[in-house]
Amino acid sequence: MTLSNFSWLTDSPIFSTTLWPAWVAGGAIGILAFAQRWMTDQPLGCSAAFGNACARMGSRLPLFQGPAHSAVTDWKLWFLVGIFLGGLLASLSTGTWAEPTHFGTLYTALMPHSDAGRVLWWLFGGVLIGMGSRLAGGCTSGHTINGVAMGSPASIVASIFFFAAAVGTAQLAHQLLSALGG
Amino acid sequence: MNNSSPLIRNGSFLLFGVVFGFLLSRAGATDPALIASLLLFENLHLLWVIATAVGVGAILNLLARQFKWRSLASGEPISFPHKPFVRALIPGALLFGVGWGLTGVCPGTAPAMLGEGQWFVGVVLIGIVAGTWLVGFIHHIQIKRQVQSRNMTAANR
Repeated sequence: MTLSNFSWLTDSPIFSTTLWPAWVAGGAIGILAFAQRWMTDQPLGCSAAFGNACARMGSRLPLFQGPAHSAVTDWKLWFLVGIFLGGLLASLSTGTWAEPTHFGTLYTALMPHSDAGRVLWWLFGGVLIGMGSRLAGGCTSGHTINGVAMGSPASIVASIFFFAAAVGTAQLAHQLLSALGG
Repeated sequence: MNNSSPLIRNGSFLLFGVVFGFLLSRAGATDPALIASLLLFENLHLLWVIATAVGVGAILNLLARQFKWRSLASGEPISFPHKPFVRALIPGALLFGVGWGLTGVCPGTAPAMLGEGQWFVGVVLIGIVAGTWLVGFIHHIQIKRQVQSRNMTAANR
């Protein structure tokens, strides 16, 4: 689907290039994370907002009642809303929506082929992500981009295990698929 | 920042989010195929994105600490609160890594992917909320058990 109405955005080369060089995108993310720290004195993070979401949807569980998820910290949720709009802006400015069924060879081969099976797959993956980030106290944003850049020991350990488990999972899946596929 | 009006506070984080989501998209972090090729060591583009982001952040943090740069929000030197070594850090990190490896999605990129038109991430987001809630539920059960066993010991005395 093209979005020709947004040519004022697509005509700018900064916006129309889909993939920026790694050092440009990475450098900009590093500067953004610091700009947020400087302007708001709050570290970058994403996963804690899901605790706020639980509280705001009416959960009375004590874990979501503390100061970390109080209404004063609902800017965490607004940050996620902003990320959604940022992704939307990225698509509008390239003039095409992201291909919703482009998962790459690994995930296409790995996931169940039925729609119901895929929904369960994504739900299960999401539950692991939600549980894991809450138990570890952060995700790839809060621990890796934010915490490792501060030299925080817990964040360095968490990041090592994030990557070890993700690499292990993907490599194992790849090996299993090629063994089964012959 | 927690002291300023909710409108300004939420509005500024909304704007930071817009830039972050846009950058995650331009970095390729929202592409499950690129995540898979990172985890299989076929294409290290995203590794360099993360390394540059952490490197640039580390330099700026060091400068800010060294020269006691003041935060715009508080007027005080910028704070660098380290995340604590919680007991469930390593099992949690492992669970997270498996979920990330199975889906190619993480909590930060998920909303951006949805905004880009990758509707399947809506299901993953429901899963993330459910997983977060589950941790709160387990925590609640643990507290209840502790209170019960404490009462039992008190009763047995």
